[in-house]
Amino acid sequence: MSQPLAYFFDSLYLIKPETSIIGFLVLILLYDLIFKKEKWLPYISLFGLVVTLFLIIEQYGYNKFAFQSSTNFGMMAIDPFGAFFKIIILLSSIIVILFSILSKELDVARDRMGEYYTLIFGMILGMFLMVSASDLILIYIAVELVSLSSFVLAGFLKNDSRSSEASLKYIIFGGVSSGIMLFGISILYGITGTTNLYEMNSLLQNFDSTNILMILTMILIFAGIGYKISAVPFHFWTPDVYEGAPVTITAYLSVASKAAGIVLLIRLIKSTFVSQKDTFGYWEMIPAFDWQGFLIIISILTMTIGNFSALWQSNVKRMLAYSSIAHAGYILAAIAVLSDQGLVGVMVYFIIYLLMNLGAFLIVIVIKNKINSEELEDYDGLGYRMPLVGVAFTIFLISLTGIPPTAGFIGKLYVFIALVDAKMLVLAVIMLLNSVVSLYYYVRILKHLYLNKPKAETTDIELSFSLKLFILVLAVPNIIFGLYFAPILEFVKTSLIILGI
Amino acid sequence: MIPIEYYLSLSAFMFIVGVVGVLTRRNAIIVFMSIELMLNSANLTLVAFSSYLGNPIGQIFVFFVMTVAAAEAAIGLAIIISLFRNKKTVNIDEINILKW
Amino acid sequence: MNLYDFIFYFFAALTIVSAFFVVTTKNIIYAAFNLLLTFFGVAGIYVLLGADFLAIVQLIIYVGGILILMLFGVMLTNKITNVQIKTEASFVIPASIGVGLFAGVLIAILLKTEWRNSPADIPISTLVPIGKLLMEEWAFVFILLGVLLLIALIGAASIARKE
Repeated sequence: MSQPLAYFFDSLYLIKPETSIIGFLVLILLYDLIFKKEKWLPYISLFGLVVTLFLIIEQYGYNKFAFQSSTNFGMMAIDPFGAFFKIIILLSSIIVILFSILSKELDVARDRMGEYYTLIFGMILGMFLMVSASDLILIYIAVELVSLSSFVLAGFLKNDSRSSEASLKYIIFGGVSSGIMLFGISILYGITGTTNLYEMNSLLQNFDSTNILMILTMILIFAGIGYKISAVPFHFWTPDVYEGAPVTITAYLSVASKAAGIVLLIRLIKSTFVSQKDTFGYWEMIPAFDWQGFLIIISILTMTIGNFSALWQSNVKRMLAYSSIAHAGYILAAIAVLSDQGLVGVMVYFIIYLLMNLGAFLIVIVIKNKINSEELEDYDGLGYRMPLVGVAFTIFLISLTGIPPTAGFIGKLYVFIALVDAKMLVLAVIMLLNSVVSLYYYVRILKHLYLNKPKAETTDIELSFSLKLFILVLAVPNIIFGLYFAPILEFVKTSLIILGI
Repeated sequence: MIPIEYYLSLSAFMFIVGVVGVLTRRNAIIVFMSIELMLNSANLTLVAFSSYLGNPIGQIFVFFVMTVAAAEAAIGLAIIISLFRNKKTVNIDEINILKW
Repeated sequence: MNLYDFIFYFFAALTIVSAFFVVTTKNIIYAAFNLLLTFFGVAGIYVLLGADFLAIVQLIIYVGGILILMLFGVMLTNKITNVQIKTEASFVIPASIGVGLFAGVLIAILLKTEWRNSPADIPISTLVPIGKLLMEEWAFVFILLGVLLLIALIGAASIARKE
């Protein structure tokens, strides 16, 4: 057997989670084709995700390259950092599949659910690869895999013109930004003559000052990543797509695909541009491109524009879209620290963001199921008609604002500590002011829930027991982790091992 | 021998034309054509570098990009057709239930 | 000017002119046919660069696949209901100023940089090395492309199919 082929077979045990996702993707497709029974599809999907979760936990401790080439670097980096984010992606996928069982919006498309779950699995595969990829070719394929699946999912309700419209806008923005990213990648390939991020690192070491070609290249490449995490100025698609897509998909895009994009950015910076790490965990950067300055500017723009645009939204989904842009800004601020402590901030933030944001979307789904509306005016007085939903929504919104004793506070706190430690006080203050602004629009929802009188005579709305349980499962951790967050921190710190320097 | 700068300028020009098309044209299908121009220009850059660096990975990459471009075009046109059924237009300005 | 240079300028001019017409012409069918010429010109340049395999693939995938898809898209969205396809342009002036600036910066940077300019010997055929690389070092990505095409197939069929 030739040497590269031997590398290929030697690496197969490292990509068990990806293999399992591909296997279940095919299984769902065949099941749908042969039996045409919609009922069992979500359970097969959930089973597949649980199996994959075990496979990831099994290989949690690995720290090596998969698909090594002759240069000793590989196409994929299998490390605990990647495993951490794969777990986040899987958890959000499990929750979103449960949402999909509940959502009445998807009822019109029940006979096409086989395709829906297949595409979700395609997205998961793409996100797994985005999390692990350390080669520009694989990065491009992974980004496109996620994009193509999510374009279709955003337009899945094809008889609803809002959904098709969201899908068209999504694919136009997606196509353009991936085209721009590809152009950047092609120039980067010309500069270095390789597509492997780790190999590039050793080739870039001899840049001793800022290089205008590198600035151009990195801005072009950031267009593709910024579009995935909806960072300003690549965020224009976000509100429209989030409003038009089915709620389940909106929730999924706002958590999982954002997580994958963030990891891609971190890995690009960490494995390509870091020359060494000092004793406090700060990264010494190759001066070819000033990542810190760039990320600070993008982060400030993202959180400010996200929060201020959210102020005048009347559609709850659209408001949550802008709020998710603002949260991307907070996370970018933590990355801008360029240290291990900043990464702790990012990881803690993501666990908590998963809980609070998916929780908020669950409430939007439940309310939409009952009153068939996402407009803020229609939420008037709902807090009394659905007491549990009102209380849970309050918890999620307070957590999103970041007020103690909720978990959201802990997330912000760790980002804040990292910023203050790195003496980036201006950014810290701007983040604080932004949180105050966000308080206004989150509380506005609460005002509609509790203080505004409903327009017509109404009765109480009953929820089923399992639904109540599901809401509690998402709401209670938001309080618990706000008070007792040692386990999260422990988990994050053991996962903070990135392959390389 | 043609210097590599000529090839790069050619592909930069194609890229710019693609960007102009995306920004100014209002017909969704022409916007997709412009995106194809952008992808082609990136491919051209990759092949030029691959040939001048004597490194075949660039050509492998181009092969992958072409496949992805075909997949993207298929999905894009499917979406256009589905939208056309709902709204009877492919003009982006008339696609405006959601604010831009 | 030798024959090689002449061929380069011919294909470059073909590419540039037809690409320009794609984004300026009012008639969408003309745009599609100009796009064909652009793809053809790019394929010619691939041959000049010694990428014979890619030149053929370019013709098969782009001209034979993507362009036909585009033409189907035009037909399916044009005729059925007598709706006129509008193909006007908008924001021409601000867009051209912004893009012009960007173009200047981009081309200036590309020309100013000292590229590692060591034209390698053009191999007789790139088919064998590419085939070997695809099936050995890049086998994983090659398999993934299969999954990607499956996803695209399912997605496109799911969304374009009539209920």
